[in-house]
Amino acid sequence: MFDEPFRWMEAISTRHSYVQEKLKKGLPVLAVPYKDGALMMGFTAQPGKIFELYDRIALGSLGHPADVERLRMTLLDMAHLEGFNRSDKDVTIGRLLQFGIAPAMKQNFEEVMRAPYLVKLLFAEINFDNLPVFYWLNYDGHSEVFKKGAVISGNDKESEWIQKQIEQTDFAALPLEKALKEACRLWEEGKKQSASESEDDEDKPVGLAEAFDQWTLEAAVLSTDTERKALYRRVSPDEIEPLIAAAK
Amino acid sequence: MNGSPSTIEGPGDFIDLLNRSGYAWSHSNTKIEPVDASKLLQGTTVLAFHFNKGAIVAGDRRATAGNAIMYERCDKVIPIDDHSLMAIAGVPATAFEMARILSHNFEYFRRSQLQPLSTEGKIRALSKLLKDNMGLALQGVGAVSPIFSLYDLKEKKPYIYFYDMLGAQFEIQTHTATGSGSPVIRGVLEYEDLWGAKPLAKRTLEEAALLAIRLLQTAAQFDSATGQARPEDQIYPIIASITEQGYRFFPDEEMAGLFKISMKRN
Repeated sequence: MFDEPFRWMEAISTRHSYVQEKLKKGLPVLAVPYKDGALMMGFTAQPGKIFELYDRIALGSLGHPADVERLRMTLLDMAHLEGFNRSDKDVTIGRLLQFGIAPAMKQNFEEVMRAPYLVKLLFAEINFDNLPVFYWLNYDGHSEVFKKGAVISGNDKESEWIQKQIEQTDFAALPLEKALKEACRLWEEGKKQSASESEDDEDKPVGLAEAFDQWTLEAAVLSTDTERKALYRRVSPDEIEPLIAAAK
Repeated sequence: MNGSPSTIEGPGDFIDLLNRSGYAWSHSNTKIEPVDASKLLQGTTVLAFHFNKGAIVAGDRRATAGNAIMYERCDKVIPIDDHSLMAIAGVPATAFEMARILSHNFEYFRRSQLQPLSTEGKIRALSKLLKDNMGLALQGVGAVSPIFSLYDLKEKKPYIYFYDMLGAQFEIQTHTATGSGSPVIRGVLEYEDLWGAKPLAKRTLEEAALLAIRLLQTAAQFDSATGQARPEDQIYPIIASITEQGYRFFPDEEMAGLFKISMKRN
């Protein structure tokens, strides 16, 4: 079936289309810096969008929950074994991706007889200079690194627009409350961008009020403003409440 | 780096993950030649008691091998996670390894299972490590006798557990001490609790810390394997509290002040 190069390329192309179609409705997840670290946020219909991976690493995701869970556990295993066998200072997203999960995902994607991972992953890390770093990882193993923040979304137009806005916003100067508010605003505006290209009723824009009404806002920070070794903490309902009030 | 998307699924047990990755914690069946135990680093006084906001845990800083003083800056109170501390007496190599395993075990569970390990689960985890270490403990080369202090956020209550070297756990209502210098101070702790200025559990953190310093100085007076403070070299006992807010170690600057106050005589 794949004895000719063209057939293989066609199969890969079809596979890309299949995965992208499956991810199309994935809601955006944003990761941005703020005054005391890094913030990750996204709306979700079901809990399980943003996770703690290691002392200084947070994971955001969209896609099939089973695939997200499988990759999350793999990353957790790798991070904790590395931290135990060597040091917590040897656990970085860069190493986890480059020497761990990215090659495995590429291999998985190109083995066209195996089911592909239906995921996009987003990572935030506070490095040992206390600076935030952001990565995303695609279902085919491709990853990119960002300094000013990053976004994943099922819709390319949406994510490109939000990414551009993130690059133009000085999130690093904002306190958490304002950074979260601004991230929510970009999320909402991003949805409007994608809505303009879709005629599907289900894809109609969702304002923040509707989003808060229909879904749950998951948000977490990696905060350097702590003496704890693990920098991750969930943004509390009390911190989210003013956003809900403002949206309504 | 180990792990791939095809090696997953686990109940959140880090020790199981270690075993699957080729690391074996259990030494129960290890057959080794007898070792001269006097050459191994050991000797200690560590203690813990309840105070009015939680538990205080303290230890001296000396590590010895037989009659030789090997090290005077040993940290014998080790944070395991935000709300648990382990004080170690015995062979540091084994004790430090236990602490590292426990720490990763609790964090791995919390992150993978998306909820913290229960207080009971944490207490049992240390017990299991001690039981698995029985072989080396009985051969006299890997014995560890820890004190484990935790704060249960659901119950809003501190716990102190004392363990024997084989893994039996005993909940401590008031105070405990272990290590070669502990017999010297256990009586003092009991006396202070029953007939002191006020019961230990009603003392403030500062009062508790002052007592802990005096107790360790007393232990060092009578036990050569327990190190005295050396303010001229900025060597003080290591003291930490554990409360609803988590653990907190007294920094050296604070210890210097407390030490000065605690050493004043009537």
